[in-house]
Amino acid sequence: MLVLSRKINQSIMVGDNVRIVVVAVDRDQVKLGIEAPRDIPVHRSEIYEEIQRTNQSAAAAPVPAEKVEAGKATLQPRKPTPKR
Amino acid sequence: MSAAMDITPATTTVELPRFGSFTYTEEEVFRFPWGLPGFPALRHWLALTLPTQPNFVWLQSLDDLKVAIPTCDPYMVFESYDPKLPAYAVAALEIDDPGEFTLLCVMVATADAEEMTMNLMAPIVVNLRTRQARQVMLENSGYSMKESVPRKASGEAVGGAAQATAPQ
Repeated sequence: MLVLSRKINQSIMVGDNVRIVVVAVDRDQVKLGIEAPRDIPVHRSEIYEEIQRTNQSAAAAPVPAEKVEAGKATLQPRKPTPKR
Repeated sequence: MSAAMDITPATTTVELPRFGSFTYTEEEVFRFPWGLPGFPALRHWLALTLPTQPNFVWLQSLDDLKVAIPTCDPYMVFESYDPKLPAYAVAALEIDDPGEFTLLCVMVATADAEEMTMNLMAPIVVNLRTRQARQVMLENSGYSMKESVPRKASGEAVGGAAQATAPQ
């Protein structure tokens, strides 16, 4: 892992399009600002890891003893929420 | 060579551990260019349904046939679900028209299938026009990753899920 020292308001570029700025430091907490293109999701790691675990638990559903023949699912567009 | 050969779309038949033999065409495949969290390398999936679980959509991986994930249309259970999709999802999936996408939420059953939870915090957004999909995270949305599906709803809307996921 690359380790860099930065002061407040200094930043790091990741590739050409992602900038991470140290906004504030308060004891053991660091506030970071992240500028990234719209198509790049930015999330706290622990939330991403929880989604990984949830997907893996879902995939671990027991396989039924008898196979049931599957058909192709028809996906319907999301119905717009009625205005209230 | 012969034009007649091109009329029928090429089909592929796979033997699925969970569902048995299944034949599909290339047009029926959903692409997840970013993979799925937990399964980053699995990019090609089918959306399957079972007669015993009419309201479940099983995402079946074509890159690893052992992997199948049960999902559900969140609106069938939670009518008021109204997530604001993050800009990266709309941009990445090239969603131009609200009528061209749908959402699927991952369902998790407990080992005894007594309870099911639905991941409302990270719905899978499917562009029905391009057949590309991506699971997105709605951080700070207030939606839960493990929203308990009411037993009544799971019996009616999710129809037989408990029996089929854990036959006793």
